[in-house]
Amino acid sequence: MLRLLIGKELRELRRTTNATWLLTGLALLVGLALYNGYTYYTTRSAFLRQSQQTTYEQFVSQGDKNPHLGAHFGFYAYKPTADLALLDNGIEDYTGNSFYLEPHKRGEVKFREVSDATALRSFGFLNVGYFAQLLLPLFIFLLTHNLFSKEWENGTIKLVLSARVSTGQLLVGKLLAAGVVVGAVVAVLALGPLGLLAAHLGLDGLVPLLPTYACYVAGLLLYAALLTVLGGAVSLLTRNSALALVVLAGFWLLGVFLVPRLTSEVARRTHPATTAVAFDDHTFHDMQYGVGNEGTKDQRREALADSMLARYGVRRLEDLPVYFIPVTIEAAEKSDGRVMDRAYAAIERNEVRQNRLVQLSALLSPFLAFRELSLHLTATDLDTHRDFAAQAEVHRRRVGRIVDAFYQKNTVAGNAFWRTVPQFAYAAPGLGWRLRHATGPVLLLLGWSVAAGGLLVLAKKISL
Amino acid sequence: MSASLFGVLWRHELTSLYRNRVLVVLFSLVLVVLLAALWAGSSQWHTQQRTLGRIRAHRQEMQDSLVQRIRRVEAHGMHYPGFIWDDPTYAYNTARNEGPQYAVKAPFALQALAAGQSGVQPFYYKVYITKKQQLVHESEIDNSYLQFVGAFDFAFVVVYLLPLLLIVFTYNVVSSEREQGTWVLLKTSNQSIARLTLMRLGIRYGLFTLFFWAVVTPVLAALVGPAFLATSNWWWLVVAVSLYFAFWVALALLVNSFSLSSNLNALTLIFLWLVLGLLVPALLQFGLDRAYPIPSRIAITSAERDAINRYFERDGQTLTKEVFSSPRTLIRQASVVTPGMVYGYGVIVYKSQEIKDQATQQAERQLYGQIEQQQAALRGWQLMSPALLLQETLAALAGTHWQQFNHFSRDVDAFRYHTQRFFYPKMAQEITYRTFTVADAEAIPQFRPRVYADYHWLPIGPSWLLYAGITATVLGVGYRRLLHATR
Repeated sequence: MLRLLIGKELRELRRTTNATWLLTGLALLVGLALYNGYTYYTTRSAFLRQSQQTTYEQFVSQGDKNPHLGAHFGFYAYKPTADLALLDNGIEDYTGNSFYLEPHKRGEVKFREVSDATALRSFGFLNVGYFAQLLLPLFIFLLTHNLFSKEWENGTIKLVLSARVSTGQLLVGKLLAAGVVVGAVVAVLALGPLGLLAAHLGLDGLVPLLPTYACYVAGLLLYAALLTVLGGAVSLLTRNSALALVVLAGFWLLGVFLVPRLTSEVARRTHPATTAVAFDDHTFHDMQYGVGNEGTKDQRREALADSMLARYGVRRLEDLPVYFIPVTIEAAEKSDGRVMDRAYAAIERNEVRQNRLVQLSALLSPFLAFRELSLHLTATDLDTHRDFAAQAEVHRRRVGRIVDAFYQKNTVAGNAFWRTVPQFAYAAPGLGWRLRHATGPVLLLLGWSVAAGGLLVLAKKISL
Repeated sequence: MSASLFGVLWRHELTSLYRNRVLVVLFSLVLVVLLAALWAGSSQWHTQQRTLGRIRAHRQEMQDSLVQRIRRVEAHGMHYPGFIWDDPTYAYNTARNEGPQYAVKAPFALQALAAGQSGVQPFYYKVYITKKQQLVHESEIDNSYLQFVGAFDFAFVVVYLLPLLLIVFTYNVVSSEREQGTWVLLKTSNQSIARLTLMRLGIRYGLFTLFFWAVVTPVLAALVGPAFLATSNWWWLVVAVSLYFAFWVALALLVNSFSLSSNLNALTLIFLWLVLGLLVPALLQFGLDRAYPIPSRIAITSAERDAINRYFERDGQTLTKEVFSSPRTLIRQASVVTPGMVYGYGVIVYKSQEIKDQATQQAERQLYGQIEQQQAALRGWQLMSPALLLQETLAALAGTHWQQFNHFSRDVDAFRYHTQRFFYPKMAQEITYRTFTVADAEAIPQFRPRVYADYHWLPIGPSWLLYAGITATVLGVGYRRLLHATR
């Protein structure tokens, strides 16, 4: 009976011209999303890999220089393209990917692609993530809005209910029929990128990604299923296709656009960010005049000179067995580093508060919950970005210490020395870390699934 | 006859819309989203104004401090008690410390309506002689995640949300008559259904648009002051937005003329909204990115670094030897910072900067050239999507378009060059190394802030005239179809 029901629904769908158009349009969009994602991933990952090598080569072949001057030439730490950026490029274009490793200047990730883009970028970047978050829900709602209501509108509900089919079977049969079509789309979304990744990375490169990829697909399946159930429940509850469509489209509009954007504005106002001018002022003041009883920069330098003279038992800086300038650089690096760490930590704390507010709004929007999950699993979220920035900053300080140690005994550094400075390499955190950071979105998605199921049960009780 | 018919229809529309609560619900929704958007936009505008106030105060503070410090050094026989790198009588020190000035793009009042690129482009720079353009942060401090989520501003409400509300307002003007069984009654009237429908849609459009402007104009004037009312930007904005609404109403008439069910009308209109508002821009971006790929800024950095390495392999060797090994400068000693060291670093820095600037010119030309190409192509293709056209128009009229930020950035480049020409000769005088005086401090070049809201580069008039034509055509086709509608 169930098979008959599913067959009837699918035949009905196939015979409707609208569905054919819808599916054709959808196939084109999926193809485009896959192509877009693939070219983004392959060109960027190759470019960034090559750029990382180039910048390092430039650094280690800079020739004879004063060590400090050479360290200022520095090199860049580039954030490699995320391993699953083919699926979703997340906030990558908004964060930048270049971190300059230079002495006594806390690095800042620069070169945000969005600054060099036209207004088209604000309409979004069509890839699998964009498709799944924005277009797939609308497709599911268009497919399911009249799943049950059409029976009332066509006057066939009595006929269906008087047949040898239970209401439960009717419910499951119709949902499974919609599920077959949605499942086919999800299968293309899941298998398409997998094939492209396999072609690009080879099996050896693909295998380590599979657990994360499987989690992404599981999340996508859950998301698609809950939306199908939700669409069906609304169709059943309203018994009116037009009303169901208005309700579902309104819900989509609210959840995809209105709620996140409005919450982000509220987050900006309730937790306002400091301005760059104020940041500049405060950090300059703290570095120059010290925090607490640290004393001014001049006082700290004099105290350092006194301690060095006492330590080596000499009376003039020129008589020290090590050069004093690199010693002061190292000391300043430490104290300025503390100031900058505090200032950046304050910014991060504020951003965490802002983000929490936006992420909480996923209580009103399953689309947002899935987007959060997608960003975390593909490592294109702000947490991964911060992890990269933190590791790059650690490397910057490491390079500073190596150069200062050398500078205390030498005034000229050649390529032989520059080659002893290690290259930067970043690997995004593994699946466990990503899932830990995605606990909130996972719970919200599960919560939404339960809510959608509950609504369906309620709709069945009321309407059937 | 016509006036009395209009009166009858006017009363009928108001009554029916009021009775089925569409008017109250819809207009309440419009009111809420507009107030929220205007609040968000204006508070952003006020924040920028406050930041600029802070910059002005900061500038004055730095200038006073610089002059006082130079006077103190001069009064004490050129003795500076602190660290030599902070001594303001060295031009190089001042160029690094108090010398950098802020270049500011003053926010235009209509920016409260369209954030445009203001979220991702700096509206002020601290201009150093060395770094290209830089704050501590590349632009104003903002949360990348919130930028990714997008702004909730007037432009977003008008471009995305209001067409959907207009669809709700107009999707069943004809089909509901058929579904409620009043179609036959209408067919027997001595008025043509086409004419009645056109007038009914006209009334709904008028109601919607009048209500819209009746909310936006006074609220915006109260939030940012009424000065914007005297600008042509505002009146173009009124024209563009009103025409945009008219386009959606005309589309609703056309869809209604196909004698579909209300359900299918809504579906078709939502589909068109999706295509014109989301898919066409996404496809355009795809095409333009391939036609005019924008190079990464990393390429500029690599070119700059290659040039520096080449320079130090040849001429730079002589310079560094002179500076680092000269008995006068004593840099090799590396234990005590000497006046010669400050001078020497200054010379190396400005020589290197000149090399870097030359090297980056070509890469920059390529980068900005490609963005310009995309912008130029976009100006033609934007006609494919009224949503895109309106977004571009609103950003241009609000002074937040990429072109305007680019104009500002070029002005900052020119200002930086001017500042370099001011400091470099002073840094290169090695007679005493200490050449910077109070007169110099007072002569440090200043950037004159101005509003960048000129929009002559965007063919707003022709574009919207064309859209008026398209709207009229769509209306005409819908009207003609309804004239011949039999079922």
